[in-house]
Amino acid sequence: MRNISARAAMTRWTGFFGFWLLLIGLDPVDLAAGLFAAAAATWTSLHLLPPSGGRLRYAALAQLALRFGQESIMGGMDVARRALSVRLPLRPGFVVYPVRLHPGPTCNAFTTLTSMMPGTLPAGVDDHGALLYHCLDVEQPVAAQLAIDEGLLIRALGETHDDT
Amino acid sequence: MSLVLNIFTIIAVLAGTFFFLAGTVGLLRFPDTLTRLHALTKADNLGLGLVVMGLLPQAEWPFDVIKLIAIWLFTLLAGATVGQLMAQAARRGQPTP
Amino acid sequence: MRWVKRMTIPDFLLAAAVFVLVMVALGLVRILRGPTDADRMMATQLFGTGGIAALLLLGVAMEVKAVLDVALTLALLAAFASVAFVQGASRSDGDDPKETNSQ
Repeated sequence: MRNISARAAMTRWTGFFGFWLLLIGLDPVDLAAGLFAAAAATWTSLHLLPPSGGRLRYAALAQLALRFGQESIMGGMDVARRALSVRLPLRPGFVVYPVRLHPGPTCNAFTTLTSMMPGTLPAGVDDHGALLYHCLDVEQPVAAQLAIDEGLLIRALGETHDDT
Repeated sequence: MSLVLNIFTIIAVLAGTFFFLAGTVGLLRFPDTLTRLHALTKADNLGLGLVVMGLLPQAEWPFDVIKLIAIWLFTLLAGATVGQLMAQAARRGQPTP
Repeated sequence: MRWVKRMTIPDFLLAAAVFVLVMVALGLVRILRGPTDADRMMATQLFGTGGIAALLLLGVAMEVKAVLDVALTLALLAAFASVAFVQGASRSDGDDPKETNSQ
């Protein structure tokens, strides 16, 4: 467990420091402040989001990113078509999605991801812990699409849905 | 080469502005808060993505290019997080299944 | 159509920035009309995407580097404002704020 935390801390610190360099530029005078700021950011992030120990699978992650790109284009075009159509073709409503992921960071990642997919907007949980999705058109195969996204996310994060 | 890049910029930025138009039309025409939130989060995010893509060939390598992409990713993440939080807040006034 | 031939990329980007700003301004009509608080808070989201797109177009068109930093700061602040709104709204409802946090 210690080992995992140390590696996660190192990875995150490198990421934050890289971001600092990106914002401020390569001025040696500012580097000291950057080193400190990255350390502070790492400390905060380890507290707010402890490392899970799961290993990222890059192939599945790339697949997810590709699907995300395609789906956000489809989502934007779908909204544009409905907004600009004279008849305003909307059948808004809620769809209940019984999510397999347990509440926690992975489930949050799932709702964040799907909030950018076409026609779905996560709007909280119902009394039984299932996710509520608001849809522009309840006749679309919303739940099937969500299941594909969930499967891809589980594979990308290297987690089984039972162990968290 | 620069002509090809300029044409790419023009097409991507034009497509981006189209989605901003669609997002605003949806914001004005859609019947309730949650559907309007759809219009805003989906169409405008795609609009911003296309505008950023169109600006990339015009920006200075490497810092400005990476910064543009970082701004886009950050806005995307913030929009997706905020969208679902606002949907939760808006749902409290509506009938749910 | 001679003006089309003389139009440069910066001119085009400026025109696009003005168009996006007009779209943001029209979106503000919805914010004024409401009717719910959530409708009004969509203003931050509107500026968070439309405003940033307009800033980026302006910054690249006029080659003012600092505008990119302004856009980044605006993106940060818009996100914080919206999260603060949702937290405040769920507290004043007397709702369990845990639902908001766990999502």
